[in-house]
Amino acid sequence: MNNLPEDCVAIILSLTTPLDVCRSSAVSRIFRSAADSDDVWNHFLPTTDFPAGFAAPAGLPTRKQLFFSLVDNPLLLNDTDLSFSLERKSGNKCYMMAARALSIVWGHDPRYWHWISLPNTRFGEVAELIMVWWLEITGKINITLLSDDTLYAAYLVFKWNPSPYGFRQPVEASLVFLADTDSTDDVQPSMISLMQDPSGDEAQSAELRRDGWYEVELGQFFKRRGDMGEIEMSLKETKRPFEKKGLILYGIEIRPKP
Amino acid sequence: MKPETMKSYIWLQTADGSIQQVEQEVAMFCPMICQEVIQKGVGSSKNHAISLPQRVNPAMFSLILDYCRFHQLPGRSNKERKTYDERFIRMDTKRLCELTSAADSLQLKPLVDLTSRALARIIEGKTPEEIREIFHLPDDLTEEEKLEPLKNTMDDPRIRLLNRLYAKKRKELKERERLKNVEVEEHVDERSVDDLLSFINGRDPKVVKMSKGKKKKKKKKDQKIVSSNDIHDKESHDLHSKQQCVEETGSSMRDVPNLPIAEDDISTSKARSEDEDIDDEIDPAMRELLDREVEDFAQRLNSNWVRSLGQERRPVHFSINGNGTTRRHTGQSP
Repeated sequence: MNNLPEDCVAIILSLTTPLDVCRSSAVSRIFRSAADSDDVWNHFLPTTDFPAGFAAPAGLPTRKQLFFSLVDNPLLLNDTDLSFSLERKSGNKCYMMAARALSIVWGHDPRYWHWISLPNTRFGEVAELIMVWWLEITGKINITLLSDDTLYAAYLVFKWNPSPYGFRQPVEASLVFLADTDSTDDVQPSMISLMQDPSGDEAQSAELRRDGWYEVELGQFFKRRGDMGEIEMSLKETKRPFEKKGLILYGIEIRPKP
Repeated sequence: MKPETMKSYIWLQTADGSIQQVEQEVAMFCPMICQEVIQKGVGSSKNHAISLPQRVNPAMFSLILDYCRFHQLPGRSNKERKTYDERFIRMDTKRLCELTSAADSLQLKPLVDLTSRALARIIEGKTPEEIREIFHLPDDLTEEEKLEPLKNTMDDPRIRLLNRLYAKKRKELKERERLKNVEVEEHVDERSVDDLLSFINGRDPKVVKMSKGKKKKKKKKDQKIVSSNDIHDKESHDLHSKQQCVEETGSSMRDVPNLPIAEDDISTSKARSEDEDIDDEIDPAMRELLDREVEDFAQRLNSNWVRSLGQERRPVHFSINGNGTTRRHTGQSP
């Protein structure tokens, strides 16, 4: 490869992944120079199919820095309760829907849910469950927002207030791809647990995230190029005759499965 | 014999000086040649042969011509083209590089893309050393320059982890302060003195453990640091009083707000086992740094009992029993 000019190396690197490009900066001088170039990192930044309302943060001179800024600092999209970021190793798009963007049955009624602002959260409000019998939380996202040819999973992000109740049993979770003609009547929900489960018995149980919140997987889907329609994910507990309390809901995060 | 009069040829000269003629439609498939013919009017005779860029040696040129000859025919289906391409790029890495270079100088973008993709597939997932070996690249970066990318590398975000730990620690201290003021009256500490002692003594391995630098799952580490808010009522009260004890015996939590503190491990390690095999790939320089900081911290915390428990570095697990007492197990998890 001694005879390969730097722009060729840049072309080749732009066809790999952000992870490979970073590793390449330790190979040789030419590789390093190519690996830092804007041409390469432009390739990993979303361009035309970018969600509307994005403005590059000021003061970021290189595209590489912009990329990492999008990885570490999710961007709040204008006028919506949706945050956008990039997955570190692949550059795939990640989104998080705020609790306000979800449809929470009884969520508008202050006897059952109330809306609070917590520090260190990216959205203005999170929802705190006071008490409810009918627990049903649904979110929808347009699949065209996501990166092609990627396996994604949706996670409910939450934590507990000092006195949770009613969540020791598993609850129902489902994730459905609403393409134009599909009917969703016969989808079987899976049972997930909002508690952590060290014994590993439950198929899906809650895990602690690095930001201090918990998450549990609601389901997965694969996005192919050209897919259109919405993904609908939901969490439900409406069958047991006792109340549920104490859940603090941040939102639903959608990100690639490693 | 086909009449040659209707066919036109372009004369081309490769880097080694040899001249050949190529069917016009094939040669014009290369933008660079096309440009030369149209703009400068050369290539129509042997004396006015187009000089190809230096990067195009005869062997590569022959390959490129094959490629052009195939693809310039409009009647081919996409499937045919794809199959041809896949077979075409089956060559060793060195030739792939030469071909990329040659195609690039002729501005033959489709071929550049094809070869680049093949080379990208080769590069993906390899370490820098492997890449250097495969492509016979010179190792011309200084050690310092090689370490610099680690700041951005996703494999081992130790520096980021440290920063995050610091930030979390500071946040937690504030939180504890707040909790302490609010809840201290309501709580009754049910644990025995023994439990408290073992907790205090058990802090040593935790402190030392930080220096082992297990980076396996970042969230595990952070899990330890997470504030006590995440734990259900009773346990958070327990933690709280432990906190008080520690603050009385130890000194300086406030003096070293920047280091992750051991009792956090206790608070949240209940569900997690650290015993999985962990690739301890931490860069020695970073490990030293961590080691030094931990030693420092240990010293400030009344190093007597730290030293007295020896240099043992085996992880110690704490878990919180149903009734709020702590349970300690050493070695492998049950």
